[in-house]
Amino acid sequence: MREFTLKSTITYKVYRQLLIILEDFLSTIGDIVIYAGKVISFIFKRELAWKEIIYQCARFGVSSLPITLSIVGMSSVIVAMQVAGEMVKQGAGNFVGMLVAILVVREAGIIMSGFAIISMIGSSIASEIATMRVTEQIDAIRVLKVDPIRYLFVPRVLSGILMMPPVLVVSSLVGIVGGGIASHLASGLSYRAFFESVWSGLFIKDMNVALLKAVVFGFTIALISCVCGYNAKGGAKGVGEATTKAVVWSFVGIVLWDLLFSIIFFF
Amino acid sequence: MSIEVKNLIKRFDEKTVIDNISFKVDSGEILAIVGFSGSGKSTVLKLICGLIEKDGGEITTSGDIAMVFQYSALIDSLNVADNISFALRERKDLRKKYTEAQIRQIVREKLALVGLSGVENKFPSELSGGMQKRVSFARAIVTSPNIILYDEPTAGLDPVSSTLIEDYIVRLKEETHAASIVVTHQMSTIMRTADKIIMLYNGKVVFTGTPQDLMRQDTPYTKQFVTASLDGPMKMLQG
Repeated sequence: MREFTLKSTITYKVYRQLLIILEDFLSTIGDIVIYAGKVISFIFKRELAWKEIIYQCARFGVSSLPITLSIVGMSSVIVAMQVAGEMVKQGAGNFVGMLVAILVVREAGIIMSGFAIISMIGSSIASEIATMRVTEQIDAIRVLKVDPIRYLFVPRVLSGILMMPPVLVVSSLVGIVGGGIASHLASGLSYRAFFESVWSGLFIKDMNVALLKAVVFGFTIALISCVCGYNAKGGAKGVGEATTKAVVWSFVGIVLWDLLFSIIFFF
Repeated sequence: MSIEVKNLIKRFDEKTVIDNISFKVDSGEILAIVGFSGSGKSTVLKLICGLIEKDGGEITTSGDIAMVFQYSALIDSLNVADNISFALRERKDLRKKYTEAQIRQIVREKLALVGLSGVENKFPSELSGGMQKRVSFARAIVTSPNIILYDEPTAGLDPVSSTLIEDYIVRLKEETHAASIVVTHQMSTIMRTADKIIMLYNGKVVFTGTPQDLMRQDTPYTKQFVTASLDGPMKMLQG
């Protein structure tokens, strides 16, 4: 007969698994806070690997623009196609541009860009650094007495901070223009009426908040991706797990920031 | 004397992987740390170069430490020249010391030393395993270290490449007078490079001597190691 022990019970196993998940959750939050402090310290001390920063900025811009333009552009087109006809019928055609602009600038542009950048750039950062971890490249950097935070984290986080705002501006412009074209094609709304409505619906505050969000989202996505990659363990499985974790944590991170921004600026 | 290790202890969770080991390596000397897989050899190197923290004992080193990793560990996004000059460009105390022309000259000299002139612009993925290993040698010696650690330098290489790498280990010792530690379980590497040997089993030193002492097979441990026998005091994990 099998011996009964506390450790063999399902309750104990579930409890233990929950403890492991909680420990991982808390240690990841701790790591994100610690590495954020280190990255900010390097930036303020201006101890920067310029060549790597320029490379990472170029990579961020070139890799992320096609997908952010596509996603934000198509989202605006879909919204405009669905609402323009109905609004024109109800005599509210003059508000279509305003609706699309507010939607894109306040929310859809930044959150869709964020999601696109997480899948394109965040996952790439996490898997690259995780691969460097499991192939001892990060150990080699440490033995050569180069700080991996300065060399790996700072350029990627800076590229997020510097490149996310221009990517957002371009994708939002494309989104609004796409919305105008879709409205015209779907309901016959004139371009003039659409774009006059856009300007009447946009405020400087909306644009400033969107740019601030872009900076914070860029920082968050790059930092979380670096941390998850850096903490990877094992071989190919570890790289996969680190990448998945980076994507999930970045999604949650930017949605939480978005909520916080909405409470602070629009509540 | 360049490396002195006294009563070194390292535990992972509750398992003691390095159990109270001591040794010394002088300048211009090569110590081979030998033993079967899982005996704690690579852990000793990681402890010496500070990649992991020790749980007890003392490690005294003098001067710069360089390490050649088992799978080279070249940074795959950088070309050969940038890999070799990495420390010169990025290390805090070195990054403003050399001009671009001086860095290029140093890279050329180090590549020539390992017999790889003209591959500056190639990326690690474009090189064979043996060439990657030689580039990692060049990267290791770029800061003129006093201590060079080699983790399984000939693992996975064909016999001719292994011989070439063994020759470079001896040549680097003669040219740099560095204290070197070679972690290996390959007999040819032991015999062709080592001045002295320690053998580890379960994290403990079970033999200390010269390559000639090892070949005499005076102890059950040396006999089992040299004859690669399953019978003996060292029990391998059975598959």
